[in-house]
Amino acid sequence: MSQTQSSLRMISLIAMRNIMSNKVKSSIVASIMVFGTMLLVVGTALLDSVESSMQKVVTSSLTGQLQVYSSQGKDELALFGGLTASLPEIGEIEDFSRIKSSLEEVPNVQAVVPMGLTVSTGSSGNDIDEVLRQLRDAASNNDAQTVASLSGQVREIAGSLLEEYADKEKISNDLNRLDKERAALEEVQKDAFWQDFTQNSQERLLFLDTKIAPLANNGRRFFMRILGTDPQAFKQHFDRFEVVKGEMIPPGQRGVLISKRTHERFLKHRVARELDRIKREIELEGRSLEDDELLQARARRLSRQYRRVTFQLDPSEVAQLEPKLRDILGSEASAKDSIKELIQKFLHVDHSNFDARYDFFYAQVAPMIELYRVNVGDVVPLQSFTRRGYVKAVNVKIWGTFQFKGIEDSDLAGVVNISDLLTFRELYGKMTRAQRAELEALRDSIGVEDISRDSAEDDLFGGSDEIAIVEQDSQESFDEFQDVEVMAREDRIKQVENLTYSQQELEQGLALNAAVILEDPDDIQRTRALINQKIQQDDLKLKVVDWKEAAGLVGQLIVVIQIVLYVAIFIIFLVALVIINNSMVMATTERMAEVGTMRAIGAQRGFILVLFMLETLVLGLGAGFTGALLGVGIIEILGVWGIPAANEIVRFIFAGPRLYPHVSLSNVLIAAGVIFVVSLLSTLYPALIATRIQPVVAMRGRD
Amino acid sequence: MNHTLSRYCVGLSMVLLCLLSGIQGVFALESLSKKQMQDLLVEIDERQRSVGDYKALAYIEQKQKGKSDLVYESVIYRRDKEGKLLIMFLKPKSEAGKGYLRLEDNLFLYDPSVGKWERRTDRENIGGTGSQRRDFDSSQYAKNYDPTYVKEDKLGKFEVHQIELNAKKGAEVAYPKLQVWIDGKTNSVLKVQEFALSGKLMRTSYYPKWSKVKNEEKGSEVYFPKEIRIFDEVEKGTSTTIVMQKVELEELPDNIFTKAWLESKSR
Repeated sequence: MSQTQSSLRMISLIAMRNIMSNKVKSSIVASIMVFGTMLLVVGTALLDSVESSMQKVVTSSLTGQLQVYSSQGKDELALFGGLTASLPEIGEIEDFSRIKSSLEEVPNVQAVVPMGLTVSTGSSGNDIDEVLRQLRDAASNNDAQTVASLSGQVREIAGSLLEEYADKEKISNDLNRLDKERAALEEVQKDAFWQDFTQNSQERLLFLDTKIAPLANNGRRFFMRILGTDPQAFKQHFDRFEVVKGEMIPPGQRGVLISKRTHERFLKHRVARELDRIKREIELEGRSLEDDELLQARARRLSRQYRRVTFQLDPSEVAQLEPKLRDILGSEASAKDSIKELIQKFLHVDHSNFDARYDFFYAQVAPMIELYRVNVGDVVPLQSFTRRGYVKAVNVKIWGTFQFKGIEDSDLAGVVNISDLLTFRELYGKMTRAQRAELEALRDSIGVEDISRDSAEDDLFGGSDEIAIVEQDSQESFDEFQDVEVMAREDRIKQVENLTYSQQELEQGLALNAAVILEDPDDIQRTRALINQKIQQDDLKLKVVDWKEAAGLVGQLIVVIQIVLYVAIFIIFLVALVIINNSMVMATTERMAEVGTMRAIGAQRGFILVLFMLETLVLGLGAGFTGALLGVGIIEILGVWGIPAANEIVRFIFAGPRLYPHVSLSNVLIAAGVIFVVSLLSTLYPALIATRIQPVVAMRGRD
Repeated sequence: MNHTLSRYCVGLSMVLLCLLSGIQGVFALESLSKKQMQDLLVEIDERQRSVGDYKALAYIEQKQKGKSDLVYESVIYRRDKEGKLLIMFLKPKSEAGKGYLRLEDNLFLYDPSVGKWERRTDRENIGGTGSQRRDFDSSQYAKNYDPTYVKEDKLGKFEVHQIELNAKKGAEVAYPKLQVWIDGKTNSVLKVQEFALSGKLMRTSYYPKWSKVKNEEKGSEVYFPKEIRIFDEVEKGTSTTIVMQKVELEELPDNIFTKAWLESKSR
């Protein structure tokens, strides 16, 4: 046996003896190490699991593994939304087909799916606007029966508005205006206003349009993010996508699929939506109307929404509904209660009556009101604020609703609605070649000279000394409708249903960005580099980002979680390092005599250093192994049970209601490495102190 | 020495005289009293008022930096005595049938693609251009604003009165403060600047060409700006030009100023 070997054997024996003899110190240090290692294994494993579940959900719902968009854009792509509500200006891809053919040549690229995001809005006017529209139609058709029925609704709305005037008068400083408004509302309540309505419909409708309608609240407006794409390619490459109601947009046909979340949360009648929400919170989150104050407050607010129901009921529906309401309300309803009070009382839900009233609402009330502002199968006008800043209305067919599997409940999953690329282009305000030619011709026919803001005054007023006031011939007349074609509204709608497009039209045109789907989805960074090369080579003027960057705020979330976790682990290990270091320093002081003796009988400084380091290393190895084992055990158990997602955002991050984490060898190796370094670092200082102990000092201490 | 000094004084006086006469030449106009300004505003409004009905064919074009132009042809129907106005787009084809209807103080927008009416504010940009309802309507300066004289000014080669107009209490106006430059010779408005309540300049409009057409019923002419150049002061680089191609003062059918009429054009 060589001398080194025998020294090592001796050091090991002494180290083991020291560990065993200082049980308190050893167990404190060991338990800190166990905890640290376990935390590291669990933390990194959870983070990896969250990242991989998020990657799955983000890449298989909207982004693909990589995204490309114009390198000329001002902002960065944020498919799931960014920091601002407005859409980022990411530039344009003028001809998608060029990008597609070029990028599909790159190895590992399976497909390139075109995309473009825009925000649309729809408005249904306020309740009275809608009733007045019907009234106008009925009056022009001389339909006295419908006029009579609608007059009831108008009077009801006017009556409700009148009720607010007592309060308004208390706070207003313009009583004169209030008096005029009140008089107008009272006028509508009178029978005389309605008696000869059909004979004087124009005058009466003018009164209603200008004096009554402006007094009601503003119309309801809803916003929808529309992602234009190649619907068939989208369906093929984003496997989380599934149609829920209605049908998929057929190949070559134009239209929109609304996300189920948008349909249920933003397009549904307010009262139905609130009822659904209470029901969901009771069923999914285990809350109860009996003792949950927040839920009770929500239920109380519900009964204040009664007008949203009563305004939509015509007299025949009121007659039909009233006895049924009295029936379900029982003794709660009094004989003199009108439909208004009955609905108000009906919507006052509590623990005992919620289920029955929920069912009654859907069975009896819902068929009489507009349950959804947009229904599957409808052709609806969507308006969008184009990049030019003006409102563009496009009629679109709603083919159905869809969801992304596994994240149905998350609002983030409902961030977009899907349309074909041609509909998107129209909403975006991209003119077709024919439209551009029409504008050019019109502009040329007038020939307005272009002048700049800075030289406007000189250009316009610098020529002649006197303003010429040209006299036009008063006999000159013109026919404004000559060469003018106004398409009938019905034809516009029919046209929407019959509009088709070819794959070539879809691909040879504008897109804003494109998803790059990879054959091997894990080989992201290498493919990204290859795509970058191809972009340079073919001068495509694009930039390529991975799914995390493309997702916007959601993608940044994972980075934030990562930072938080790593900072937490760093702090914990810093504390551990200090504690271990302190314990070791104290232990070293206690062992001065022992070390002194060893030095006196010939132990070198190196021997003492290795001895101390070995002690901690052995502890570290043992504790590291135990900690890693515990960590792996915890993750395995969580992997079976699943971690429940507390709210919608967590549900999105978890890609479902529960996260089933998994642990990999790298998580264990990282933990082992970190604990090894921490052990050595924390022992270095006490070990150095020990090596400096002089035998004579140790002996003196013994005396 | 004395001789030199007197020559110097004479020279100086000559220069001063020349300068004074020059200034006199620049500002030949005299400032206006409150009464004169009010009368001037009444005259401007009255000249543009049509006693009977008014129909105009207008071309609207908006240019915005870095973006494609917006171009429309529209017809404007006015019945000034009832405060009614209808703007209907005729071209391009995709916009034909869209229109704005002003009834009393309400401005409604109808889009046949939507099939519904929407109430709009008086600051609505017509068809998304920099033009607003007032650019097509009769002038109502005297009714809505109180004038304050600012100064005599020059606009290119024209001598003009610069007058500040502040909205009267309770007046329904889009902007509470205006600066107007009125030609001293013809009393034509040549330039208008509109300011928001905060004092921010919103739009600058120029009226380089005016036209008039004989109104039998009125017994005099109805004036209208043949061309309006509007510069957006918020969105720099955006400008709108309106060209009133033709004006006709024949009586219009009553039902034109109804929602039903505009709806019927796209039925």
